[in-house]
Amino acid sequence: MKRRIGRAFAYLVLIMLGLAGIAPIVYLAVLSTKKRIEILAQVPPTLDFKWSRIEKNYDEVLFSQGMLEFTVNSIVVVGATTVLVLVIATPAAYAFSRFRFRGNENLAFTILSMRFMPPVAIAIPLFLMMQWVGTHDSYLGLILPYIAFSLPLVVWIMIGFFDEIPQEIDDAAIMDGCTRFEVLWRVMLPMVRPGLVTASLFGAIFIWNEFLVALYVIDSREFQTIALGAATLVSAQRPIDWNIAAAVGVVTVVPILIFSIFVQRYIVRGLTAGAVK
Amino acid sequence: MTPASRERLGTKLGKLDRPGTVVWLLLAPTLLYLAAFAIFPLFYSLRLSFTDLTAAAGTGDWVGLRNYGDLLRDPHFWNATKNSAVMVGASLAIQVVLGVALAMFFNLHLRGAWLVRGILVLPMLITPIVVGVMWRALLNPDWGLINWCIAAVGLEPPNWFGSIEMAMPTLILVESWQWTPFVFIIVYARLQALPQEVFEAAIVDGAKPLATFRFVTLPLLMPAIIFAAVFRAVDSFRSFDLIFGLSYGGPARSTTTLSFFSFQNGFQWQNYGYAAAVSYMMLLILAVGTIVLLRFVQIRPGYAK
Repeated sequence: MKRRIGRAFAYLVLIMLGLAGIAPIVYLAVLSTKKRIEILAQVPPTLDFKWSRIEKNYDEVLFSQGMLEFTVNSIVVVGATTVLVLVIATPAAYAFSRFRFRGNENLAFTILSMRFMPPVAIAIPLFLMMQWVGTHDSYLGLILPYIAFSLPLVVWIMIGFFDEIPQEIDDAAIMDGCTRFEVLWRVMLPMVRPGLVTASLFGAIFIWNEFLVALYVIDSREFQTIALGAATLVSAQRPIDWNIAAAVGVVTVVPILIFSIFVQRYIVRGLTAGAVK
Repeated sequence: MTPASRERLGTKLGKLDRPGTVVWLLLAPTLLYLAAFAIFPLFYSLRLSFTDLTAAAGTGDWVGLRNYGDLLRDPHFWNATKNSAVMVGASLAIQVVLGVALAMFFNLHLRGAWLVRGILVLPMLITPIVVGVMWRALLNPDWGLINWCIAAVGLEPPNWFGSIEMAMPTLILVESWQWTPFVFIIVYARLQALPQEVFEAAIVDGAKPLATFRFVTLPLLMPAIIFAAVFRAVDSFRSFDLIFGLSYGGPARSTTTLSFFSFQNGFQWQNYGYAAAVSYMMLLILAVGTIVLLRFVQIRPGYAK
């Protein structure tokens, strides 16, 4: 009997935890379907949804406020950055994983420590650099800094994945006459595919959410990213229309949530990357 | 590519295929890129901190240590330092304790727990700005859901972001909602990887559950806990976008941390030199913290095994 009560209590806690995690997100989604006045008048909000109202709110956010355009911009920037980061970081991670050379540990540690750099410390210089080379207020003005921001993280995650592939596979391929570059390109790349997915996932989420550099670098609406758009529309500085703000929030996070469902199994691996053995 | 040219390329690469050269060829893109877009901006920022550069006055004259001198006399800087310390300290304590508790709870392997685990990952993925807006809605004094719930059980809801005393605890609450799962996931991964025999042995030896946790489980989890704590400490120290969405540093600067203070100086007041000086103070704190920390723990890339 006592056990059963304990069990029931445990399930109650489990349900509460699930609610604590999901309810705020659902609440935001519900608010995004309401009229402005309804948010103030219905407490708590009722669950009767009117399609015409939903259409109106999202039409306003996606088209009048430009969030659709910003989403496209974000996808371009995230896509380009992620591909370039993988191209740059993968060979380095392979080298750190496979070769003992002088300063290996120190160099790896230095790169990894850059993951901890406060963005506010380099946003202004990066912005000024983008002005010198004339790439501010363009996609490139975002892509160049974002590569630097996500490189350390991606190198870090990839080292972990390379470390899991036994060295004997490299040795066997080299015995068969492969050069190091062929080993990396033909043998290793297919084997670290989960690593590539995990690394891109975390690089991509970081860039999707970033808006400090974008705040400096981007002036025109034409190149605004989604996080910058959301930040501009819902800044805590001033009063806002809550139904619109909620819809902006939903539009910003829905792509991440959908994306994360498909890559569920990689999320935990990415989060625990770098944990001490 | 013809076989012949391929062979030539092959031998060329073969020549490079000595550890010495190969390593540096593999590392070069990353090292050069970081040198240009991370190290250089960092030094440039240091230089900026010795100038009076603002967005309006483009030249930026050298003023030596004036920014740092002003900083040390600026009560707002000390206020931000205090706020950062409170935020990092309290978030860390709450998130580590709750995160470990969650890991132990999920170790019961209840049915359907995988789903809740999946849900708890979501807050970490959400754009911090949106987390801010979401919680401003939840905690709205007039119509927010949480205030309604508190009132429904007959209690008086606190004045979350309306008062100077409550704003920082509220910020910490929201930060912990988003990031406690991080500690949980990492500690849980480590817990799952531990050999079960250890716990069985403890039980066979007649150890009570609490004693098993204290003397067997906790020491084995320590590396993962420390790892998660380091990440959380630095990330909450760096965080400014959550504050941007949540409270914009207010009311009356009660949630202005160093990170947000530097952002405000740089972006809002466009005082680049001063903002750079603030961020260098942050780097100094991080460096000291790292040196102290490295005396106690060793971090290496790899996985929680």
